[in-house]
Amino acid sequence: MAEAQTEGQVPVTVLTGYLGAGKTTLLNRILSENHGRKYAVVINEFGELGVDNDLVVDSDEEVFEMNNGCICCTVRGDLIRIVGGLMKRADKFDGIIIETTGLANPAPVAQTFFVDEGVRARTRLDAIVTVVDAKHLPQRLADSHEAADQIAFADVIVLNKTDLVSPAELEAVEAQIRAINRFAVIHRTTRAALPIGQILNQGAFSLDRVLENDPDFLTDDEHEHNEDVSSMSFELDAPIDPERFNAWIGALLAEKGQDLLRTKGILAYAGEDRRFAFQAVHMIADGDFIGPWKEGVPRRSRLVFIGRNLNRPQLRRGFESCQAG
Amino acid sequence: MALDTQVAPKAAPEFLVERRGVQRALGAYVVAARFDPTGQRAAFALGDGTLRLIRPQGPEEWAEIAVHDGAVLTLAPDCRAGGFLTGGDDATLRRIGADGTVATLASHGMRWVEQVASFPGSGKGKADGLIAASIGKRVQVFDEAGTLLKTLEHPSTVTGLAFDARGKRVIASHYNGASLWFVAAKTDSPRKLEWKGSHTGLAVHPEGDAVVTAMQENALHGWRLSDGQHMRMSGYPSKTRSLSFSRGGKWLASSGADAIVLWPFFGGGPMGKAPTELAGGDGVLCTEVACHPQQEMVAGGFADGLVVLADIASSRILPVVPPNGVAISTLAWSPDGTRLAIGGEQGFAALVDFTKQ
Repeated sequence: MAEAQTEGQVPVTVLTGYLGAGKTTLLNRILSENHGRKYAVVINEFGELGVDNDLVVDSDEEVFEMNNGCICCTVRGDLIRIVGGLMKRADKFDGIIIETTGLANPAPVAQTFFVDEGVRARTRLDAIVTVVDAKHLPQRLADSHEAADQIAFADVIVLNKTDLVSPAELEAVEAQIRAINRFAVIHRTTRAALPIGQILNQGAFSLDRVLENDPDFLTDDEHEHNEDVSSMSFELDAPIDPERFNAWIGALLAEKGQDLLRTKGILAYAGEDRRFAFQAVHMIADGDFIGPWKEGVPRRSRLVFIGRNLNRPQLRRGFESCQAG
Repeated sequence: MALDTQVAPKAAPEFLVERRGVQRALGAYVVAARFDPTGQRAAFALGDGTLRLIRPQGPEEWAEIAVHDGAVLTLAPDCRAGGFLTGGDDATLRRIGADGTVATLASHGMRWVEQVASFPGSGKGKADGLIAASIGKRVQVFDEAGTLLKTLEHPSTVTGLAFDARGKRVIASHYNGASLWFVAAKTDSPRKLEWKGSHTGLAVHPEGDAVVTAMQENALHGWRLSDGQHMRMSGYPSKTRSLSFSRGGKWLASSGADAIVLWPFFGGGPMGKAPTELAGGDGVLCTEVACHPQQEMVAGGFADGLVVLADIASSRILPVVPPNGVAISTLAWSPDGTRLAIGGEQGFAALVDFTKQ
């Protein structure tokens, strides 16, 4: 899949998080802030949203499985219809915000933006924003699969209700989030107060910005985590053979795609001056050449996995087998 | 009324709309165009919530009626002469009378009214027309007077809605298949046509032989109603959003490829048969199809704005609208087949006259 043009595409922000974490508060802040922009908001239950200029669409989360051979390829058909409907309106939107229910798995929403050609042509997935409750997150992680999934998928995490925990508890909960997903931007908030510029227009799914946010790339996590979901990163200095990489990653995603929530990479192909960017949500992958390597900067290929049952030696050996020559 | 197809000169390519049509820029996405049951009025439903009306046989006068607060999502002819039915993203089902009055048949809070269908009536002087509209998973069926007859629940949102040709059954597509309901049944339990996946629209064979749905996976699925036999029609590079059976149901025309794709529903088809492709070869996606109501001809609209009329037997192509770069979003024939209404994504609208001159 080549990356679609971003010109004229409406950015879509996916807002996930447990009931009570502060999702609605955040949404109200986004909508009530005097920013002069117009948003369409897709929600599940018409709650107490203070909306004047914006359009609220009430929808059931309707997930279905694609008959395309990917066993985990689930898509939100309701979003395909809604995006189609919104694009017919005479008034245009600066963005679409999709709120998911508390227990929702973010994968079907994200996959919808990869799978449906009409949705891809008109919109672009901007970022997955997850709101978590600093006080109750440890309990949520202990008793549900979904809490970890929502953190694993996130590009931006709003760590809310920080006033309800001690500094030590806050450090601990942030460490717990980092153990699952080291690549998301974390904002600490109370009452979900933060500038909307930190939530909207993040470009997190833009191939141009894959792995832009990896502050501690090399301080890797060789130690064991207790978390069920974790993230791992790998680097290679030798150039990559594109055919070997495609064969390996294709087989890996086909076999382990259910466990691999998000995969991202920037690759230095042998004999190629441009960077190749790659990303996947479960088994659905997207990749294209982005700008050239900077002068004087080492051409180092990097690959990140966020998921369950990640086998570090196996992944490293697999990645190393993609070296050219 | 005879159809005049001998209008294209042999030499220079000429587009029929220039000599035999009216065209206009309406300024918003043309969601659908339809004729009323008499063919005396054509309506264009727009993304700005208005309906634009024109009388094909009169002078070129466009009336504008504000119908929905938001976009019109669906348009159908009313059972009554001169009238139309619309659904909108303002959660209302509206009825537009011949005199331009707008009535609200139903209102549904925050939910979009996404599908509307009608049965014009038996034509025996009885006012036995029917109206159906979908709101999420629910289909409401009304009689011609607008009285709610029944509410039919589906397992997921209804994506396509149609009556059969005799108004006996109403059929809805949704996830994992379609549901077929008898309008007159005392207890409502549908015949379920099952096939796993997301079905995004449907067409009903005019003789009641089959139901065909479009699917998310760039394929069509069909069920022969006599025995439930499945039909699988695949090979499309893109999603099919427009389906149309020819008069009598010999052919099923479809969009979603770089040609008008026609599946044979005769001689044992479509199972094991290759489709016929018309007006292809430019690599431009066909976005809309509409079979002529009287003859074995099909109108096709393309992603570049081209509209053609194709004779199925001879594969002869008559150019109707030149490509102007904006995709065709709707095509509709008048009931007698003398006029074709055309709409495009950025507000292009045209009405072309095919009567013998």
